[in-house]
Formats: sequence, structure tokens, C-alpha cells
Amino acid sequence: MKETQHSYVISIMSRDRVGIVHEVSRALSEINGNIADIRQSVLCGYFTMILLASFPEKVTARDVERKLAEIDARSDTAIDVMVKQVEEDFVPFRPSIPENAYVLTATGPDKVGFVATVSSFCVKHNINILDLSTTAHDGIYMMILVIDISQCTSIGDVRRNLQEFSQQTGLNMVLQHYDIFKAVNDIALPLH
Amino acid sequence: MIRSEEILHTVEMIQKENLDVRAVTMGISLLDCHRADAASTCQAIREKIRKHACQLVPVCEAISAEYAIPVVNKRIAVTPIALVGAGFDVDGFVEIAKALDDAASDVGIDILGGFSADVSSGMTCGDQALIDAIPRALTSTQKVCASVNVGTTRSGINMDAVVQLGQTIKDLAEGSAESGGFAAAKFVVFTNQPGDNPFMAGAIHGVGQPEVVINVGVSGPGVIARALQRRIDQAGEQKLGLHDLADEIKQTAFRVTRSGELIGRQVARALNVPFGVVDLSLAPTPNVGDSVGEIMQILGVDAIGAPGSTAIIAMLNDAVKKGGTFASQSVGGLSGAFIPVCEDQALANAVRDDTLGLEKLEAMTSVCSVGLDMVALPGSVDAATLSAIIADEMAIGMINGKTTAVRVIPVPGKEAGEFVSFGGLFGESAIARVRNVGKSSRFVAFGGKIPAPIHSLKN
Repeated sequence: MKETQHSYVISIMSRDRVGIVHEVSRALSEINGNIADIRQSVLCGYFTMILLASFPEKVTARDVERKLAEIDARSDTAIDVMVKQVEEDFVPFRPSIPENAYVLTATGPDKVGFVATVSSFCVKHNINILDLSTTAHDGIYMMILVIDISQCTSIGDVRRNLQEFSQQTGLNMVLQHYDIFKAVNDIALPLH
Repeated sequence: MIRSEEILHTVEMIQKENLDVRAVTMGISLLDCHRADAASTCQAIREKIRKHACQLVPVCEAISAEYAIPVVNKRIAVTPIALVGAGFDVDGFVEIAKALDDAASDVGIDILGGFSADVSSGMTCGDQALIDAIPRALTSTQKVCASVNVGTTRSGINMDAVVQLGQTIKDLAEGSAESGGFAAAKFVVFTNQPGDNPFMAGAIHGVGQPEVVINVGVSGPGVIARALQRRIDQAGEQKLGLHDLADEIKQTAFRVTRSGELIGRQVARALNVPFGVVDLSLAPTPNVGDSVGEIMQILGVDAIGAPGSTAIIAMLNDAVKKGGTFASQSVGGLSGAFIPVCEDQALANAVRDDTLGLEKLEAMTSVCSVGLDMVALPGSVDAATLSAIIADEMAIGMINGKTTAVRVIPVPGKEAGEFVSFGGLFGESAIARVRNVGKSSRFVAFGGKIPAPIHSLKN
């Protein structure tokens, strides 16, 4: 008889060192966890990982936390763990970047509140941020956001609002369709 | 995952480096527009152009806004009118030119090409009537461009036609003397003219093309110049060989072509019209930073026209083709580097400073695109010398199996070294010196045909 499974999203953070991915994945497999998807990032010497794993029904969130706590106990560096249950009817597959995504770049002097200001524009106009990245050098800060404007009225409105925002804040804002970046950097043409 | 560096680089390419789509040209077949008389034919032509092209400008502007990449020129190319108007007299053809002009204004485009004929193997009555109509047609209209194909590698060069067309150019210039002979800038003589070139003044919707099509001309001399300068600044001139620079051109040409392809396909899709080709040509404009000549200077000649210029242009032309071909599903048109003197500030300055002459331009045309393009000549040059200039350029195209063309403006009342300005995209230039004027009359007087080269026999 096929056992029902349920899924947890597990997040891990610790100082970056060799072995974390192995220790975590081995621990999960020891309690019959099947890892469906993993993302990881390293920032400023700190490692963070978020993964989706499914377990037999009898394994609780507490069981997963306790198992992963064993790694922390054994480890020289502290490992922080968070486990969240995924709803039963959650659909796990979604294209990472929708067809009509845009790239917004915001450039300006590096100062407190930059990210908050730019993200306030997105919230105000119902723009969903799909991915973001920042770079800074010589006192100039640049934010790159991949955004979904499908909930906005029109691209014309977004551009107009952006221009207003740019004048109010003094930030240089550029909005470009994501396909352009794919077209000029990828081997395959982004034909839909 | 965002690849920040690539995104930043692309943003800069569009924002700072004049990346744009230089031309979106709708090709429309007018083969079914011939009626019993010229007036009804004109009516059919106007209606067909309106039917297919009424949305061209709005769609280009909408897509341009969506992608934030400018579409600089929206144009139309039609079936060579010699075919459409066959059977009418010279007046009939002039009427058709005016109908084309009206149709172009009606749909809001700035130039319409296709008042053309192909006489490479000989002239029909329709061809002759069209050629006779060209001076009046182009001086009495604003937006119409004309071209005649006088030769192909397969059939040779129709020298009788070349003889006539030298005089046609004179007539055009003299008929528009108040604008410096500008009407001659709307007329091109070709060998191996392609049927899908989106650039003016030589655009036609050739026989063998579909009912309607969208062709795109990308551009980007500025983008390529900046990319080369960046590479040289980063690595240092000593550490780079010409092959490294060729590679930089190739990669940049890929990016430029891809932008054009993306926009072009979107326009075609929105108009529900098949997408034809991307023309990879590097087409300069008089704007600062948009010059092919500047690329040549970056690649190492202090004066354009100095020894090395031909080699540089050959390398540039080839690298553009390599990068562009990989970028596109279908490449066509002329696809090479243009060297239009009036339309390129650096080239125009080189002619002014007498570092670039007609002979070096001619040499460069053997390794790059098009030919003697937008060159201002002294108004006193006789028709026979003009025909001989044409013959030289046609021979280069015929023997090398490439497209070559002549688009020269003999400026009435002005001599070498003097200055002429045509305004806007057509630019301005000093008048180039022509050596050995009046010494080719006996050659031209022979007329007849220059036979096709032996290597055209490919079966």
C-alpha cells in the first residue's frame, strides 16, 4: 500500500564550510525524507539553504527539527534550522520567470533606505518581485529586480509612475522587458 | 537566477550606446494591382498599401515602448513598379509614383522604396518607361525611392542601361538643384540587388517574396565602437591582436542582431504578417557616436582612407556577419558594413580633409556592403563619367558575387572641396574629387553588355 507523504520547507543557515549540504541531506535521508528541490546562497561568508522535502506521514515537523539539531550539536559552527509544513494542495511546479517579466534597475547614491524605497514603489503599484540582486561600488548602489507586472493596469502606466518616482527620489530607474536580456545573452531565442 | 553583470551590460548597451532597431520595413506585393488604366492602378495600389500598412507605425511604436528599444524608421518596400505598371507610358509611371507618395503619407511612414526595375539581361518597354519617368517621379514626390538593377553575376552587366542611368542621375540632380541635387539621393543603381533589403533607398519587395512580409534592419555602429573601446581600455592595446578585436565585434554583433530579431518578430506577430529577414548591416547615421568611420579609427587608422582601411573594413564586415548569422533564424538583405559618406560624420570629415577619396572608397566597397553610397560629387561631372563610375562598381559586384550599388549626388553648381548639406538622416559632406573626368566617353559609348563571368556557370 502506498504511504501518503507530506512536505516540509526547511531552511538552514550557518557559517559557510565544507560539508553542510552533505550532512543535512544525509540526515534527511536517514528519516526517509525525499528532497524535491534545493536552493542555496552564500553571502558574506554565511551559507543559507532552502529545500523542499517530502516525508512519510508519521514524520512530524518536530522530528525533522530534532534530527537536524543533531548536526548542529556535532558541528563546530552553529547551524540554525527552521521547518515549515507545506499545505496539502500546494502545487510545487511553477515556471521561475513568467513570459511577461520585466527587469527594473535602480541606481543611486548608496544610503540607508535605498532598498526600502525601491521596494515601496513595487508594493504601491502591485508589482511582485521575482528575484533581486544588488551591487555597490564607489558609493553608487544598484538594485536589479526581476518583476512581474501582470497585476498592473498597463506597461504605459508603470512607465509613467516610474518616471514620477524617479523624479521624486532622484534615483535613475530603467525598466526593460526580460526577453531582451535572454535574447542578447542566451544561445536560444526567447520565442514563445 | 539573475546574472547581474550581463543585465547591467545590456542595460548600458541600450541606454548609453545607441542600440536601436534601425528599420522595420514592410514588404508588400503589388503584383495584383495592375488595372486597365493608370488611374485605377493607382487606386488599387493606395488601397492595398493602406490595407496592409495602416497599423505598421502604431504597432512599431507600441512594441518599441514595451521593450524600450527605439524603432527608428518604419518603411515600406513594394514590388518593382516596372512590373506593376508594365503597359503604361511615362506619364502613367509618374502617376504611380505620386500614388505611392500619397499612400506613404497616408500610413505615416517616411520612405517608400520600390519604384524600380530589373534590367540585368535587357530592357522591357515597362522598364524603359519607368527609367524615363524616374527624374520627374522623384522630383515631384517626397517619400518615394527608386532603384534599377543593371547586372547580376549570372547575366552580366547591361551597359546600355548603365549609359542611360548616368544621365538619369544628372537629370535628377539638376531637377532638384535648389536642394543640392537631393533627388539623386533617392536613386540607386545595383548589381545583384536583393529582394528583401529593408534599407533605403534600394529597398524593393522582390519577386519570389510572399504577399506581405516584415524585414528588419538592425544597427549599432555605436554599440560596436563602445564595445571595442572598452575592450582596448581594459586589456591595453599591446595585449590585443586583431583577432581579439574581431571576436569582440562578433559578440557585440550577436547582441545587436538579437535585439533586432526580437523586436522584428514581435512586430510581425502583432501585425499577423510573416517575418522575413534580419539585415545585419551596420548602418551609420550623422548622429555623434553612430559612425562606422569611428570604428575604423578605433581599429587603428589615424585617418580614414589611410593604408589599412580596406583591411579593417574587410575584418569588420566579416565579424559582423559571423556574429549576426548565429543570432538570427533568417538573415538576408545586404548584411554588411555600410560606408555612406554623407550619413557618417567620420567618413564625411575624411572626405573633407581629403584623406578619403573615391578610389579608396571603391576599394573598400569590394570587401563590404553596398557600394559608393551617398557620395557628393562635383556638379560638372559629365554623364559618361558617371556611367563609368557605375560600371566600375557594378563590375566589382558581378565578379565577386556580391551586391554593389552606386548612389551618388552630383551637386549642381558646386565643385570638389565645397560643402553640401541634405539635412536630417541624409547628412552632409564635402564634395569628393573625381579624377580623370571626361576620359571614359569612348568606353561608355560602346554600350552593349559586359558578359557574365565564367564562374557564374555553376551547373
